[in-house]
Amino acid sequence: MELTKKPLRTREMVAIVFMIVGLKGGDTTPALFAEHAQNAIWLGPIVSFLVLLAPFLVLMYLLKKYKRFNLIELTFHLIGNKAGTILGLLLFASGFVALSTDMRNVVEEINYLYFPNSPTIAIYIIFISICILIANKGWETIGSLTWALLPVIVLTILAVLIVDMRDAVGYRIFPIFGGGADVVLKEGISKSSAFLEFLLLPIAYQAFHQPKNFRLGIYTGGILSCILIVSFYALYTMMFDYNTINNIAFLYQESTEIVTLGHFFTNISTFFMIGWLFSSFLRFIIYLYIICWIFGAIFEIKRFEGLLLPIGFISMMLSLIPPSFAVNELIVRETSLQIITPLFLIFPFLLWGAAFWKDRKKT
Amino acid sequence: MFPWQKQKTEAIEKRENRKISKNLKDNIAYLEEQYSYGLNYDFESKSVHGPTGKYHLLFYSTTVNTQQLSNHIVSPLLEVKKDIPINQILSVPSITPIKNMGEAEKGLNEGSVIIFKEGLAEGFEAKIQDFKHRAVEKAENEKTVKGPKESFTESLPTNVSMFRKKIPSKDLIVENINVGMRPAMPVTLIYERDLVNDEVLENIKQRIKNITVDNIRNVEILEQFIEERPSSLFPSMLYTERPDNASNFVSDGYIAIIMDNSSSCLIAPITIWSFFHSPEDRYLRWAFANFSRLIRAIAYFITLFVSASYVAVTNYHSQLMPIDLLLAIASSRERVPLPIAFEILLMEVAFELIREAGVRIPSPLGPTIGIVGALILGQAAVEANLVSPIVVIIVALSGLSSFAAANYSINHTLRISRFLFIAAASVYGLLSLLGAILLWVAYVVSISSFGVSYFSPATPSTKSTHDTFFRKILKNERWRPGFLNPKDWDKY
Repeated sequence: MELTKKPLRTREMVAIVFMIVGLKGGDTTPALFAEHAQNAIWLGPIVSFLVLLAPFLVLMYLLKKYKRFNLIELTFHLIGNKAGTILGLLLFASGFVALSTDMRNVVEEINYLYFPNSPTIAIYIIFISICILIANKGWETIGSLTWALLPVIVLTILAVLIVDMRDAVGYRIFPIFGGGADVVLKEGISKSSAFLEFLLLPIAYQAFHQPKNFRLGIYTGGILSCILIVSFYALYTMMFDYNTINNIAFLYQESTEIVTLGHFFTNISTFFMIGWLFSSFLRFIIYLYIICWIFGAIFEIKRFEGLLLPIGFISMMLSLIPPSFAVNELIVRETSLQIITPLFLIFPFLLWGAAFWKDRKKT
Repeated sequence: MFPWQKQKTEAIEKRENRKISKNLKDNIAYLEEQYSYGLNYDFESKSVHGPTGKYHLLFYSTTVNTQQLSNHIVSPLLEVKKDIPINQILSVPSITPIKNMGEAEKGLNEGSVIIFKEGLAEGFEAKIQDFKHRAVEKAENEKTVKGPKESFTESLPTNVSMFRKKIPSKDLIVENINVGMRPAMPVTLIYERDLVNDEVLENIKQRIKNITVDNIRNVEILEQFIEERPSSLFPSMLYTERPDNASNFVSDGYIAIIMDNSSSCLIAPITIWSFFHSPEDRYLRWAFANFSRLIRAIAYFITLFVSASYVAVTNYHSQLMPIDLLLAIASSRERVPLPIAFEILLMEVAFELIREAGVRIPSPLGPTIGIVGALILGQAAVEANLVSPIVVIIVALSGLSSFAAANYSINHTLRISRFLFIAAASVYGLLSLLGAILLWVAYVVSISSFGVSYFSPATPSTKSTHDTFFRKILKNERWRPGFLNPKDWDKY
């Protein structure tokens, strides 16, 4: 018996968006930007968000116009079953690749920093089984769980910001454009799909108490995430400075590693690890669930929770192919993001065009 | 249904439907046989010869109020001169006519007096029960310093009267549902008609009606029969012995379930926060109550996580500790031969033993526990180099904190979960510990109690008092708990 149907509301959506996008402030994404942009890593995401804003708003407009659909249903409705399936599969595939590379990065991070003697696969199996077990409980549980653990994570973030701030030097932000304005622009645009979750989340458009909750949630969460990412990246810049920043892989951990809290607490990174690990778990629980949801929606599988195990497992296997973390981050992830980006920039406009065409045909 | 069961029920029905005859002797002979008159020393069968006719009384001498019996039943029957119906003669508050032997037997079982008159094919049941029970005493398990002190007692009428005293309103409904067969016992649902959610009420009623068991004598057993997840670690009903607490819940739209023979009541549906709250939180002023809640919240976290974190950090993340602390731990463990996880488990189990023994031990022997616990298990174990002093501190801390849990039902949940977390932490350090915590929280947020999410109103959120970790100033509590979907949301 359920007293309230679809109980999730705005606050859960904010938490979800924050978890899946905002916490890219703490993974290896800044290292990806730092490779070329140097200490302008904080400008990279701004460019990316601005570039993604137009397709995102178009998509939100379409979802609002056709009230009853989620992302895949909308695609099917607008461009027909065949083309819809192809586009849906493309979205799924790119999401899947991003999931695999991101997950490998996070697992490598855990492995390298906290369990240097363990084989990657052991940690990977623990990580992904926990994700699958929890994702299996369904969207409502995931939403509630995210909200329930949000205080821990927010507390961690605030603590990191405050602690890191003491070691930051404002002048290190210069040269403001790091590797050059053109480089930053190019990086920001070509890697804008690092934040492709914005365009995959609308699969859950109908899963909230009202669609309004989803819209409000994604806008609020998106803005909060932008602020968080940009301020974190700026903080990294101010801590590590030009030319050092592109040699550090795990900026978040490194930044917590070098700060101290008085004379007694010289090693406070454990405290920050708790929130970080929670958020990593949550992020991949949500991500895995969304990917399976998209796949289930394309092939009209009602109980797509059954897909979590195979998709999670295949994703793990595929992501273990690159020989090392560096190859994974700097070659596989970078290349795949550059390939995926055009798809995400174009497809909402494609749907928009189709909607426009449909309207015109009707009248 | 099996054929022998059918025969059985047919025989019972036939007996129950037996009409009361005009012949007094027949009726008496039948009931005396049924109730083994002569063998049952407290079953009385007395005839009364009044001026207007011959009456016969049947009752258990141990269950009726003898004073009422002589003053309000026997005397009037002996004194009345005119032949008027019995229910007009007698001055007891409740007297009802009965038509068949089934009703007569039911009345006798409940402790009433059954009255027959010669030449009348009808009997009367006079309810003058006087079952013995404890007086209303102070609450033993949910103590408060500020606030009412009385607690429920093992008598249904007394408990209902305590509800009526607290909520004097015509909307307070006290409804009975029979449960069981040998014999059927009434389960009493107490709710406010104009607040309760009908869907929830219907669900609970249905669950009670669906119980097929010979008998249920108290709410403690009933709880396990109507729970949704009997094997879960998390209780789905609140067990409270305080009438003030129960009526606070009822006046918010919850449903209270009471039974005779239970000195507590059940509240349903429930959220996890109610186990964390104490009734005193509402009686204390805002700041004091929230301070006490803060302490309790810390206690909960300590009891759940401190031992597990110790295992995880010392085993797997020693490089992440301040160096002085690390050295302190290392030097205290220098002579200890056991691995850390085993050491912690040893002390935790020892603590659980002390606690279990403390509950079961006869009170004159109570101080023994303290001596054994403190001296042998603490001091001596350290001196024998079996455990390190730090572990004793940690286990004592987690044990002490688990006593701060406001409710006995959730106490076990915390204690058992703690062992799960210790086991998880010893597998893969913080990674598996945090994973286990996530799984635990995911389970908590996914379950529901009679359709109400266990974690509301934190998430999913509805209009409510938002009484979770901390409470608001009472004046600002505008809404009733919306997750119950009550008929009236607005408190004002």
